[in-house]
Amino acid sequence: MASSQHVLLSPAELAYLHASLSLTPPIRPDGRSLTQFRPLVAETGILPGTNGSARICFADGTEAIVGVKAEVERTRTGHDSPSLDDEGAEDDDDLDNQQDVVKGDNDWVEMTVEIPGYRDDDAGTVFLSAMLSEALLADGEFTKRLWINRRFHWKLYLDILLISPPLSYPLPLLSLTTHLALLATRLPRLKSEGDEDPLFDDDWAAAPYLYARPVQKGSKKTASAPTARPPVTLLVMAVGNNIIFDPSKEELAVADVALAVSVGEHTGFASSKSTEMDIDTEEIKGYHNLRLLSVRTIDPPSRLTPPGIPNASNSAYGANAGAKDTEKKKQQQEQARTAESEAVEGVWKSPRGGAKTLVMAALVQKVLEKGGVADEVLDALDGVDLN
Amino acid sequence: MADRRRINGPVGTTIPPIYDDASEKKSEGVKTTRSRPANVIRKMYLKTGVTPSASGSAYLEIESSGNGGSGLKLSCSVHGPRALPRSTPFSPHIILSTHVKFAPFATKQRRGYIRDPIERDLGTHLEAALRGSIIADRWPKSGVDIIISIVEGEQDRETSKAQGIEAWDTMNALSGCITVASAALADAGIDCVDTVAGGVAALVQDAGDDAAPSIVVDPIPSEHEKVLAACCIAYLPTRQEVTNLWFKGDLPASDMDLYSQLVEKGIQASKSANWVLVDCLNETVG
Repeated sequence: MASSQHVLLSPAELAYLHASLSLTPPIRPDGRSLTQFRPLVAETGILPGTNGSARICFADGTEAIVGVKAEVERTRTGHDSPSLDDEGAEDDDDLDNQQDVVKGDNDWVEMTVEIPGYRDDDAGTVFLSAMLSEALLADGEFTKRLWINRRFHWKLYLDILLISPPLSYPLPLLSLTTHLALLATRLPRLKSEGDEDPLFDDDWAAAPYLYARPVQKGSKKTASAPTARPPVTLLVMAVGNNIIFDPSKEELAVADVALAVSVGEHTGFASSKSTEMDIDTEEIKGYHNLRLLSVRTIDPPSRLTPPGIPNASNSAYGANAGAKDTEKKKQQQEQARTAESEAVEGVWKSPRGGAKTLVMAALVQKVLEKGGVADEVLDALDGVDLN
Repeated sequence: MADRRRINGPVGTTIPPIYDDASEKKSEGVKTTRSRPANVIRKMYLKTGVTPSASGSAYLEIESSGNGGSGLKLSCSVHGPRALPRSTPFSPHIILSTHVKFAPFATKQRRGYIRDPIERDLGTHLEAALRGSIIADRWPKSGVDIIISIVEGEQDRETSKAQGIEAWDTMNALSGCITVASAALADAGIDCVDTVAGGVAALVQDAGDDAAPSIVVDPIPSEHEKVLAACCIAYLPTRQEVTNLWFKGDLPASDMDLYSQLVEKGIQASKSANWVLVDCLNETVG
């Protein structure tokens, strides 16, 4: 599903929308503030047959389910590394040395995105799934979590389903749902040791979470045990001088530029590093230690919207009336050409060219700033009960 | 999805045998290092009008890293603008369709005839980059097809054993695709606001533990110990605008400067590629 799905708005409506979004302060059609997300309902653990699952329903009626399934798979050894199956040949020292080398491979994660009404090899669907998996695999830390021992690993299947028709560009929805599903994912506890064939604990209650979480005391969280968490991809767009988060379909239709920014969180380095690091972490206490993982431009659908025609060049308003001699006609053609390139106030014109670098940088900055939207979103997601 | 209409090669992947040289063995830790300055892109060869039957075409070759590897070889053909079939609904703009395909033999791992997700993803990026440069409303009710075949992917015979390099190579491929498609569009005489060219910059960690990460343009991943982040940029130099930005990697959010520098270097690489592009187009005209 492309971001450039057809928007049924007339040039006049688009011009009005664009004008109201470029005001200071802007007026959004649904009355939200610039950084406000659409209200949503989220729950986890809805699918008993999966290792982790989540469902999010946005107020505009779009809804997504994500199921995470894990399978044990034998790790394929490359031609350059010694075969690990004949362990007798290796001496113990060698084994000990290699024991702590936890390696991951991007092939261990398989992600599929399903959007109703679109083929699974549609360019837009592929783009969405590439964006989501890119963010997940960006730091190379995620696949290390799937390592069991040198011979086996978990293969993780992430199936992302949009179960409503795509009423708006579903990127934020799918990303948030995937985030929650991964947070809720548990893998059976390993009972075997070393490079044995893996044997797991039958007790599901003892299964550890894929993303270990802070120790909870009652309802109060202790800040001492921070954890990493899966990435979140946010959709940001700019209209005029305003930066707008979580745009709806209509808002995206007048965007000057739209970006998908993926942020992740890394913590837990503090204890192993020097005291300098401790000071740093104390400074940023209360905020998330964000990492920028990926940025992609989304082709804004505004480029495909029908342009309006100013009265000056509209023949219905007498633009070409009385133009009989060729000289006059030529002059008018030239006028029409300038009209094509110059903006007339109140007449919609689809944006041409790209975006200024400063605007792009401002979009990313706005997402990442301390106490900014990314922080807010991650805090809000903390509130979801993971059962 | 299995391709049942053609007789395909074996399903499983086959890896050509690689024999370790005795001389190579002792210098195993020593990789080739970057010989260019950090802000210079590789030499490239660009020629337009290579496919007579297409309305516009171009061929781009980027020199190889010189380690028994192969450079990037791309061929692009543009068909159109042409009338849309009767069944398509009215469109006030030109409809752009991009098609990026690695030749089956372009990379070490054989690619099938059906485009895989990476190729489709590249196609979407390319479309976003070109849509910003084309003046689309001058051709209502028409379409243009941009077809790129990557004849030879960038690949280093010795070092691509290392995992995770392919991911960074796609960025180099995309920047080549953008430049070659832009040349082919100009060759086809399709109105653009400016020639768009692609450029890549990367934050790399060189061999040696204490070396601070540095930013290089047009990186060859195998020349560096580790690529921390990379970004590919499609840039319109006269308007000073970015039509497509693709950043990937892992950067601390507190360090926005690093990100800005990376983007800045990407723009610089794109400008360098644009000179080649403009020279090539001038040559054809003159």
